[in-house]
Amino acid sequence: MKNRRWLALLLGTGLVLAAAGCGSSGNNGANGNNSSGGEATKAPAKTEAPATKEPESDTKPELRVLNLWSKDDYNTHPLAKVIEERTGYKVNYEMLPADKAMDKLNLLISSAEAYDVISIAGDKAIYTDYAKMGALVDLGPLIEEYGDNIKASISEDSFEAMKVDGKIYSIPNRSSEFAGYNLMIRTDWLEKLDLQMPTTLDEFTAVLKAFQDKDPGGTGGKGAPMSIDGALATVANITGAFGIATGWSDQGGKLVATAQNPGFKEYLTYMADLYKQGLIDKEFAVNKDATLKEKFTSGQIGVIQLPWFDIPTVADALNKNFPEAKFAYLPALKGKDGKMGIGMSGGYDRITFIPKSAKHPEDAIKWINAKLEPETFKLISLGEEGKHYTYSDGVYSPILPIFTDERGLASSYLTGIDEVNYPIYWQARVKKDERLFAGFSYLNREIPAEGRVADPLAFAPSLPEYAKNNASLNQMINDFAVKVIVGEESPDAVTEFAAKFDAAGGAASAKEINEWYAGTKK
Amino acid sequence: MNKRTKGDLVLDVSVYVFLLLLGLMMLLPLANVFSKAVSAEWAITSGKVGIFPVDFQLDTMTEVISSSTFIRAFAVSVGVTLVGTLISILMTALTAYPLSKGNLPGMPFIMVLFIFTMLFSGGLIPNYLLMRQLHLIDNLWVLILPGMISVFNMLVIKSYYESLPEALEESARIDGAKTYTILFRIILPLSMPVIATIALFYAVGYWNDYFGPMIYINDTAKKTLQLYLQDVVMNASSANVLNKSIDDLMNMSPEGVRAATVVASTVPILFVYPFLQKYFIKGVLIGSVKG
Repeated sequence: MKNRRWLALLLGTGLVLAAAGCGSSGNNGANGNNSSGGEATKAPAKTEAPATKEPESDTKPELRVLNLWSKDDYNTHPLAKVIEERTGYKVNYEMLPADKAMDKLNLLISSAEAYDVISIAGDKAIYTDYAKMGALVDLGPLIEEYGDNIKASISEDSFEAMKVDGKIYSIPNRSSEFAGYNLMIRTDWLEKLDLQMPTTLDEFTAVLKAFQDKDPGGTGGKGAPMSIDGALATVANITGAFGIATGWSDQGGKLVATAQNPGFKEYLTYMADLYKQGLIDKEFAVNKDATLKEKFTSGQIGVIQLPWFDIPTVADALNKNFPEAKFAYLPALKGKDGKMGIGMSGGYDRITFIPKSAKHPEDAIKWINAKLEPETFKLISLGEEGKHYTYSDGVYSPILPIFTDERGLASSYLTGIDEVNYPIYWQARVKKDERLFAGFSYLNREIPAEGRVADPLAFAPSLPEYAKNNASLNQMINDFAVKVIVGEESPDAVTEFAAKFDAAGGAASAKEINEWYAGTKK
Repeated sequence: MNKRTKGDLVLDVSVYVFLLLLGLMMLLPLANVFSKAVSAEWAITSGKVGIFPVDFQLDTMTEVISSSTFIRAFAVSVGVTLVGTLISILMTALTAYPLSKGNLPGMPFIMVLFIFTMLFSGGLIPNYLLMRQLHLIDNLWVLILPGMISVFNMLVIKSYYESLPEALEESARIDGAKTYTILFRIILPLSMPVIATIALFYAVGYWNDYFGPMIYINDTAKKTLQLYLQDVVMNASSANVLNKSIDDLMNMSPEGVRAATVVASTVPILFVYPFLQKYFIKGVLIGSVKG
């Protein structure tokens, strides 16, 4: 009896306490954020003071660098040694987990872990958040003082894109702009039926019909002429023929989202028609990347969308199953009014910043600067001539397998790039595999320039509204496109959908994007 | 009375068939992963690998097992599991003993304190900050100390102690045994079934823990095997692929490597089960009936 009373009393108090805790947890959470942000901003005041006194001594401190996940340990990879020798800084590399990396980073930033340099993927939204919170060191003065190589390597445009409230808080790795995705067609099926490679949308439709009627692959009705990934219902190349190759396209000087683009309805009508005729895989809506490759490599499908970096895997599997199988990229297909194009991607694939909790912000900048010294930069990204690569006629070719072993991870070590030379160095990476390179150069060299459409937003500055809504808006477009293609909604529903799209943040994004876009045109 | 009727037979058969199907359902995905680990990559890409390997090869497996990151993570995991299980089982058995003596003064109160921790906890960020204040971040002890005693496991052991006849202790005491002698010479040897079971729970728990290491361990050299596995597998998940740069995409591990990593990090702990199984079944039963 006595025991029970004890228990009841204690549990009762516990519950009351917990309830009180929960009740105010909203406020606590906010306070917690503020106070940790405050700590982060206060912290440097403490740490910077000794740091500014110290540089008299020539001893270089060990830097603590946080990077994205990689399957090899940054510390034991041969490049770590190369960088240490060239810069004179000992570096302790740590990495974020592969999954929920940004959650972990938030935890580390809000508890003011003393990293000197942090590199993340090109997510400007996260970077902007940190900068606005006051968690990052303003790099402007540091670059001015110690960053000659940084200034020489990184263009004014890139710095401009990184500016938050007029200040530079990060050093971006600008990635080269190229077309990644296109439609792949079984050329041996074309040959079997004595067909030419299609160059217009109408010819393409005819080829699909021929694949269906004559079944050159002998699938016995099990397959389909074409299949697509259910998550990528706006198909590369075909979208180009309707003028919507990129998520936002220029329409008379203004950027317009796919949902609002008149080409969207035409595209959907065309695709829904293909589906109705059975030219697109009936089950495409549930296709994932792996299922798509599975179907293509087991000879059921004649046309799929495939990025060039997946070519070797797919070619291996397909040729093992069908030694005589051949496939190639389609050229940019022309629509009825001559529109065409394959969308390109570009932007920033790494962003490097220094948190305010860093113990050695100046040394961090010196380290980044030393890595951008032209010879060092070349050594890091390409290696030694004759050992890691050969050079002839302006082309760098890798020596395998040592290039992959010792430089395969190079892009993860780069904190800022030489924007003029890196795109040229980088192509050595693509030459790791002949088939890969063939696909890449077809898309990016052989297809005439007008067949490629640059993403107008690739190098845009941080656009908060757009960053906030982009993922969910793209999802909306994809879901809607799938529904229309399978015939659940009519293409006429586009108008209604466009209104929904606007309400869900599309209008706000468009306003913000066009304010910036108008400025670039002057 | 013992005669089996037709109805019994039908019931038996249907129970066996049902359990067999259930067992297969659990086994098939596992078989699929094992087959992928030893099949050629082209066969995996074209979806030819089902339950049995296609174009058998061991290169992927060898590549995974011989990678230095894997070996290091494996060693860390084995160390944490061994040390952690040992300490945990010892502390849990010791804690359960006095608590099983309900008549000692203050015991109900202490009991409530334990139960309290089962229901309420401080949350992730406060915990992280606490560990940081204790200088446990990036220290392997952080994987053992905070969760050293699982209250649930402690309760299972406690109820087992309570089920032992009190006369045993009384007679030992008459023979002149003191508390520690009674615990270590009489109670613990008698409790082997439950101790073995709980040890297995702890071992599997330590081995499989990835959340703790993910939060508290930043140093690459101290990452555990499950964290390594989690990274390798999740790296290829579609949500994470979206943000990747082209170089990261070119460097991605093929599916065969991922499957091989899963196998290499699951098999070791599987080997523990057969050895503890006889205790395992007994122990769980005993704990549950009395609980």
